[in-house]
This record gives sequence, structure tokens and C-alpha cells, in this order.
Amino acid sequence: MFRKKQLIHFILAAVIFITADIWIYHTLTSSFDKYVQQRDFNEISLFVQTAPQKEENIPSWLNEVSSIIPGAASLYLSYDFDSGSFVPFASSDDNITLLYEQQRDSEEFKKAMESAYYLETEQISRQYTLTLNGQKVRTGVFVAPIIAENGYEATGTLIIAVPESTSSSYGRLIGTFALLSAIAFMLIAWVVSFSRDPVTGFMVLALFIIVGIFVAFPLIEALRLSFMTDGEFSFDKWALALSPSYIVALWGSLRLGVSTATASTIIGFLIAFLVERTSFKQKRTVSTLATMPVISPPFSLSLSIILLFGNNGLISKQLLNMGNTSIYGLGGLTLVQTISMFPIAFLTISGVLRQIDSTVEDASLDLNASRWQTFKSITFPLTVPGILSAWMLVFTNSLADFANPLLLSGNLRVLSTEAYMMVTGRMNDLGGGAVLSFLLLLPTVSAFLVQRFWVSKKSFVTVTGKPSTTLTELTTAPVRRILTAVAWIILGFILMLYLTIIAGAFVKNWGIDYTFTLANWKAIPDSWDSIVSTLLLALISAPVAGIIAMAAAMLIVRKKFPGKKFLEVLMMTPYAIPGTLIGIAYVIAFNKQPLILVGTGAIIVINYVIRELPVGLENGITALHQIDPSIEESAQDLGADVPTVFKTIVLPLVRPAFLSSMTYTFVRAMTAVSAIIFLISARWYHLTIKILSYSENLRFGLASVLCTVLIAIVLGVFALMNLLVKDDKLTRKTISTR
Amino acid sequence: MDKKSVSVTLENVTKRFKDVKGKSDVIAVKDARFIVEGGDLVTLLGPSGCGKTTTLRMVAGFELPTEGKIFIGDSDVTFLPPNKRDTATMFQSYGLFPHMSVFDNVAYGLKLRKVDSDEIKKRVQESLDLVGLSTYGDRAPGKLSGGQQQRVALARSLIVTPSVLLLDEPLSNLDALLREQMRVEIRRIQKSLSITAIYVTHDRVEAMSLSDRVIVMKDGEIRQMGAPDEIYEKPNSRFVAGFVGKAAFFPVTLKEKRDDKWICLFNKHELVVSRPPVEMKEGDKGVLMARPESLRLEEKGKGYIEGTVRMNVYLGNSLESFIQTPFGEVLVQIDDPHSKKVFAEGEAVSISFSVDRVRLLHPDEN
Ligand SMILES: Nc1ncnc2c1ncn2[C@@H]1O[C@H](COP(=O)(O)OP(=O)(O)OP(=O)(O)O)[C@@H](O)[C@H]1O
Ligand SMILES: [Mg+2]
Repeated sequence: MFRKKQLIHFILAAVIFITADIWIYHTLTSSFDKYVQQRDFNEISLFVQTAPQKEENIPSWLNEVSSIIPGAASLYLSYDFDSGSFVPFASSDDNITLLYEQQRDSEEFKKAMESAYYLETEQISRQYTLTLNGQKVRTGVFVAPIIAENGYEATGTLIIAVPESTSSSYGRLIGTFALLSAIAFMLIAWVVSFSRDPVTGFMVLALFIIVGIFVAFPLIEALRLSFMTDGEFSFDKWALALSPSYIVALWGSLRLGVSTATASTIIGFLIAFLVERTSFKQKRTVSTLATMPVISPPFSLSLSIILLFGNNGLISKQLLNMGNTSIYGLGGLTLVQTISMFPIAFLTISGVLRQIDSTVEDASLDLNASRWQTFKSITFPLTVPGILSAWMLVFTNSLADFANPLLLSGNLRVLSTEAYMMVTGRMNDLGGGAVLSFLLLLPTVSAFLVQRFWVSKKSFVTVTGKPSTTLTELTTAPVRRILTAVAWIILGFILMLYLTIIAGAFVKNWGIDYTFTLANWKAIPDSWDSIVSTLLLALISAPVAGIIAMAAAMLIVRKKFPGKKFLEVLMMTPYAIPGTLIGIAYVIAFNKQPLILVGTGAIIVINYVIRELPVGLENGITALHQIDPSIEESAQDLGADVPTVFKTIVLPLVRPAFLSSMTYTFVRAMTAVSAIIFLISARWYHLTIKILSYSENLRFGLASVLCTVLIAIVLGVFALMNLLVKDDKLTRKTISTR
Repeated sequence: MDKKSVSVTLENVTKRFKDVKGKSDVIAVKDARFIVEGGDLVTLLGPSGCGKTTTLRMVAGFELPTEGKIFIGDSDVTFLPPNKRDTATMFQSYGLFPHMSVFDNVAYGLKLRKVDSDEIKKRVQESLDLVGLSTYGDRAPGKLSGGQQQRVALARSLIVTPSVLLLDEPLSNLDALLREQMRVEIRRIQKSLSITAIYVTHDRVEAMSLSDRVIVMKDGEIRQMGAPDEIYEKPNSRFVAGFVGKAAFFPVTLKEKRDDKWICLFNKHELVVSRPPVEMKEGDKGVLMARPESLRLEEKGKGYIEGTVRMNVYLGNSLESFIQTPFGEVLVQIDDPHSKKVFAEGEAVSISFSVDRVRLLHPDEN
């Protein structure tokens, strides 16, 4: 039968390849081993020829062996005429003498000693593990005769232990490559012989490889390293992380998370309610202003808060003359985080409010319930799941936040920055940083899971398919006026923060000298390289992430393949993981053979793509679910293969989702900091890190300029994107041609 | 456009769908085997959920059979993906590309085949002419009526001159008049290009009027195949009889086998009828199946079954008389009612038939 034939093909191909693979592996290693052995022989015979005549010089001569063969140790045996045998005379390391004493009567040793007696250098046919220079190493042991001047007599015998390190690591590398090529070949052969549709097979395989290497592998490596101290398995790092000094940091993170989440949810709800459920007029303006902070660069709001309320702040010092302020610490951090994160709560809650069918409220009002009663018994309960979701999301974001605490934490210790200090500080402890980030993972992942599986299940909101167009005013005029005033105060404050940044860019020395100057703008030429590389890497990442996300969405929604759920989970994983952990894990995993990527631009692009993939993927999946599968099937039926279907049908149809994931990736790449800070190099620098270092050095003018530049770029891209999305005249509303 | 017509063969094809939540598998198609001769139009007829679409999708290549093989012509296509098969499918929902104009929709298959653009223009125009949409090339598919969309889908399928045309309830979204027109149109085009076609429907009129052969399915199994008249006149089970047309069933007892006939006891009468399609033995119960147009009304006491007229429905060329009998209500169709005696509602009558117009069947409901 068909399948049997395929199986035979596959097995045949596999056997042939593996035989060839093993043969090549053997040939390479054995010829390399021969070469190494030959080289050792040559060096040993050269060394032996330099043997001093006088016996008292021998010990110092023995010590020179390690300058000729790195790491080697030697033992000199002199010929004892009385007993007619060789006895130890001197050695460069006691352990080699010990080895000789233990092994002198073994078959291998005797044989080699005999050869030496007949003036031939010989390598003992097995290897020994020795402790040399305080390290356990596997060594090859050579026995060489010291030939007397007459040329036919041995005056002594030299035993040299040569550590195997260099040759064996080379051998292991060849081994790894042989194994990897075998695995790669088998996978490819498997897809080719068993998949009815090899292209899909290869796309799935490619996704698995990408996710395996860039999501699973670094996390596993980070986890592994967190259990290693000095190359040995131990719980030391975890013990340190769970010691009081770091539990304080965890506590700090949690306190900050709870206060930020609570404040953000309240503000988010207020504004969402105002926009979605009242007859308030300037809805568009307010929505736009309220979402602004989502796209603003990290550090910018902190910077602006420092400019206004810091020790030399405009408001705190110049206006109120307060001296030292307490903007650094929990209070200030909560303020800044709330401003940067309440948009998340706003968007989540207004999404839920919008979907509540206002006929339910009408019904309640009809039953003579007052507006307040209606709100209390109908509207608010229906919104609760949304509120909880929003709270969890902000909480997660606050814990993972890294930029704001770096500038503003003061005496408050939080885990994300502690992890960073651990890695970059004196200790330079990657494993320790990983442990602290894992600690951070606990609350964020639990919040994520609770949000995903519990809160979203409790949602009562049903999408009716016909959005209600009428709206019932739920507030009385005075209440509405108060709400409006509060909202405008908050938004006015945000606007002021942005204006402060722009003002900061034109002021000579904030806090001391407020004269107008353009001098700060030299930050642009100074940071030109960073601007270019930040922009370049973001521009590369956006389409890559967009295309991978859409292709993966197509595979996940439309194709059947084993391990689909697993692939989806792995791809979504980075969403729940703090950037700090990803950054540290990448440094751990990609700073060694066989994938040395740290220092390249590639690793930064990969990091952007992997981290922003989840959002794009979700966009793509949602978009594809709304498209009738028979559209793609028609294309395939007419002769299009999978890539052609993707290019000519899927991509154009999910264009809005595609564009928005590209924009999202671009913005996130432009404003990245938490993972990137571990991955940047002199060649590939990031603008946000420049802003950080200017801010840390109190050069606020320069920092303000760069913030302004970043905001301008991001806004520009948004404007462009709006133009692009508008122009989909054919697809508008006609995704299903039923 | 000259191509040799090819046959489509299914050999013991079974399709099982895995159920996600550990429930038992769904058997959508069970051991289907049939041959569609080159140039024939065969309909798959059956109630909803009987596996028609699944069968069609396996021929098109969108589903892989769990067991069995599928041949197009002489070549085994079981494991070939849809884009490598010389089939074209018209989906129930048309599957038009919403982001392309009508012209580009129709041209899609040709562009994939790297036909040069002048040739494409010419052939798309021809094909739009064929379906009567020559002036609609620039429209977006979303801005066409259901019938027009359907014709675009037809043009798009036909332009690549497939050897096999697969149609999944293509007319179900259309109004009655348009449906009739398109039916004739599809049949005409299929015949003139002598394309092999498989047509899925649950409308028996469509199946009867359109096809060379009909395959009746139920619960994933093929129950009967044959020419439309064969299926109608000689159904092999109560299910097929009832599904392809109106029928009355009368219970009988088999008394004695005589050559290739059975003597049955029915209502104290002895009737000699042809052997049933399934094996039965003396003393078994059976049913006689009669079509309404094979039944006659006679004066009280003169036929086989006594009853009273409950209602007459006048249809112009015929009259349908509903008769209350001990075996339930029986429909009798009286053709050309003006030339015959019509019994008034409430009158006592007797129903008779000639024994060569009835069929002895197994009494099982299916
Ligand atoms: N992808 C699938 N997964 C699981 N079960 C399926 C799938 N597709 C079809 N089925 C099941 O297989 C059976 C046959 O379905 P099929 O679509 O072939 O029916 P059909 O005869 O075309 O019905 P209709 O006339 O309603 O279109 C049904 O019970 C259906 O639920
Ligand atoms: Mg169907």
C-alpha cells in the first residue's frame, strides 16, 4: 500500500543517511585524534631532547612542560641499577606520581614502560582522570625514554599526562553537528515522505524550530543555570533569592503592583464609563488622549515627573519651594506607572462596556429603578469581569515594568531592577538574575492564568451581532459634570507631562537655568548611530513579526498537524514572561557555542519578533476565524499551493490584522527596554538606553530631546498606518461573500 | 478545451472524524464505493448530515480518507493535495475572493497557470459571456446578487477546464425560478464540455432532473445508486422510496414463493408481486410500496383497501385525494381529473392498484 511504500522509503533514506553521517563523524574525529596524538608525540620528543644532564636541574625542567604542552604534568623516573627498574625521581605534580604508584603494575603501564626501555615513545592505550591544577581532567598519558649520550641507553623515563580538553571539545563540536544534521535530515525526510502537503509540513517544522530555539531553549537554559553554582547542581541561588533581602524586593514589587493596578483600574473605569455610557461630547479626543501613554517611550513619563516634582523640579522647587521631595519611591512610582498603564484598563473596560446591550439598562429603568440603582445592580455587575481583567493586566505589567523603577524607585526595591543589578552589577551573576526573574514570573503567570481561564469565563457579556445604536444616559447632569471634570484633570495632567518633555528639550539647565536654548538638540547628531540602529532594527522586525504571526495563524486555524496546541502555547508564552527574564535567558543561551548571537543586531530583532508574536498571532487568529474557509479552499482548488494561498488570499484578507501587528511590533520595538538592555552592544545601541543614561547622569535636556524624537517617530508611523488601513475598499465589510 | 472525460472511482472509502473531547469518533462516510463514468453527472442525494459534503471534499482533496482509495481516471489521487488534482469545486458558500474584482476572481486560476495576459483577458471575457455576466468584470463580488455570485463561481471553476467538476449544493441560496434556470444552465455546460461532475444536493427534484445517475446516502452509507427512474421506480428500501418521492406503504405477509414472484397476503387479498430486492422467506412480514400516481380510486368494495375521502386538493393537471384508511392516510394522485370520476369529500371509496406497479420491500423503516 501507499503508506507502507512511504515507510520503506523513509527508513531506507534514514539508514543511508545515518550510516554516512556516522562514517563522516568517525573519519573526522579519528583523523583529528591522530593529528593531535602526532602533535603530542612531536612536542614530547622535542621536550625530551632538552632534558638536562645534571639530575639536580630536573625538577625545574619538569615544570617547563606546561609551557610547551598547556596544562600537562610530568613525572621523571630514573633508572635504578640496583633493582634494574625505574623509580620516581621528581614530578611537576604530586598527583601524577600518585597515578604512577597506583597503575605501575597494570597491563597498559607495563607495556608502555617496556617500549620506553627499548627507546620508543608510547601512549598508554587508555585514559586516566587526574586532578591537575585543582581541576579534574581526562588525560592521555605518554611514556617517553630519556636517551643517554651514547644513544642506545635510557637514563630515565618521562611520564607526561596531557589533558584532553582542546581535542575533546573539538570532538564534541563535531559530534553535536553530526547529531543535529541527523535530526534535521530525519525531520525533513519525515515531512517529505509522510506529509501529503510538504509545504505545510515545512512551515510547521520551521515554526517549531524557531519557537524551540528562541523560546523553549533560552528558558530551559536559564532554569538550568539557576540551579548551578560553579558548575555543580545546587540550590544556592534559589536560597539567596528567597532570603529576606530579596523577599523584600518581591514584597516591593507586589505592593507597587497592587497600588498601580488599583489606581489604574479606577481611573480607567471612570474614563471608560464617561466615554461609553454617557452623553459626554468630546469622546474621540478623550479616547485618543487616554491611549497616548501606551505608545510613549519608557522613561519619558518618569523623566517628566522628575522635571516637575524631582529635587530640582519646576513645581516642587520653583513653585512650591519644597526642598527635597519624596517623588522617589512607592508613591512616585505608583503615580508614573498609573499614568502609563491606566490606558490598558481603559481599553479593556471600555471594550466590555461597549458590548453591554443597553436594552438591559432600559429594561431596568422601565421597571422604575433609579439611574443609580440601575448602575449598581445592572451595569456595574456586568462590567465586573472586565474590571478584574483590567486589574490583572495592569498588575502583570506593573510587575514586569523595568524602566520606571530604574529611575524612580528610590529606596523601594523591586525585583525587575534587582535582577538587572544582579546581572550588570559587581557580581555579574546571570544565574542569580535569572532566579530573581523567575521569582517575578510567579505572580505574573498566576495573574495571567487567572485572567485567562477564570475571569474571562465569568464574562456575562454576549456579542449579539447587532451592536446597539441607542444609548441610555445613566448619569444625571451634575454627576456627569463631576466625572467630566475629573477626567479632564487627569488628561490635563498627562498632557502637561508631555509638554514638560518638549519644554525640557529647549531649556538650558532644568531646575537651575530656564533660558531658552537649542543646544540640547545636539543630542540628535550625537546619538545619530543609535537613532539609525533603533529605527533599522524596528523596521526589520515589524514585517518579519507580522508575516510570521499571520502564517502561524493560518496554520493554527486552518491546518491539522500534531502538536498544534503545544505550538500555540509555546508561541504565546513570551506574552506572560517579564522582559527582564527573556533578556537574561537570551544572554545565557546565545553567548556560547553553537549559537553566539549576543552582540549582533540579529538577536535584538529575534527578541522583538518573539516577544511581539503573541499579539500578532491573536490578531491573526481572530481575523481568520471571521473568514469563510471556502475562500482559501477555492484558491487551493484552482491550483494554488500553500505559500501562494497565503500570499494572494490570506494576507490581503487579514490585512488590517497584519498591518496592526506590524505597527504594534514597530512601536514596541521603538520603545523596548527591559529585554533589550541586556542585548545591546556598542554597534547596536538603543535610543531608550541612551535616554536612560542621559537621565541617570542628570542630563535631562538631552534626554528630553531624545524622548521627543522617539515620540515623533512613533506618532508618524501611526499616522501612516491610519492612511494605509483606510484604503481597503474591496474588503470593507465583505469578508464573507456568502 | 478538448479533454478526454475521465472517470472518478471510490474504493472502500471510509472517513472518520476524531472527536476532540475523547468522545467516540464520527463516521461521516462508511465504506463508500462507486464509479462515476467519464462525462456523467452523478448526484449525491441524502438527508442533512449523511456525509455528502464529506464525500465530495475527499474527491476534491480537502479531506484525507481514513481508509480506501480514490482514483481520478487511472491515477490514484488519494494522497494528492487539492492543488495537484484536476478538479474544480463550487462551494455552497461560493468562496469568492472578496478582495478581488469579478474579473480577477475568474482569472485567478489562469494566472496561476501562467497564461499570458492577453489570453487571460480573452478567456475570462468568454467565460463571463457564457454565464451572462459580461459587463460585471469590474464589480466587487460583495456587490453582486446571490445568483450572480453563483455564476461567477461557476465561471471561475470552468475556466481552468477541470476534468472533474464538484458542486456542493450550488443552488441552495437561490430563489425557485433562478434555481431552475441555473440547473438547466449547469447541465447544458457540463454536457457540452462533457465534464465529469459530482453534484451534492438534498433536493430530490434537482437530483432527478439533473443527473445521469443518483446515489442515495444515509448516515454515511450508500443506500442505492442508479438512474433516476430506477431509483424512483425500484427503490431497495423504505428509506429510499420515501426520500426520492411520495409513497404509500401497506403491510403484507409473505405466503409462498412461486418462481421469481411472491404470493402475499394483504387485507384478505392474495397478491402476486415481484421478488423484493432483499432476501425474505415464507411467513415474513413485508411492505408494499406504491407511488400516488399508481393508485386508483374505485367504488366502495371494488379495490383492495376501503376508506373515506378526507380531502381533495386540486392542482390543475392532477388532483390529490387524501384517503382515510385503516393503514393511515393514503395519498392518491389522479391525473387528468376532468376525464375521471372524482369522489367527493366524505364519500366511501376503495383503493386499488395493478400489482406490477407496486414493489415489495423489507418492512424496516430504513
Ligand atoms: N470537520 C469535521 N469534524 C467532525 N465531524 C465532522 C466534520 N465534518 C463533518 N463532520 C460530521 O460528519 C457528518 C457528515 O457531514 P457532511 O458535512 O458530509 O454532511 P452533509 O451530508 O453534507 O450534510 P448537509 O446536507 O447538511 O450539508 C456529520 O455528522 C458531521 O457532523
Ligand atoms: Mg453539506
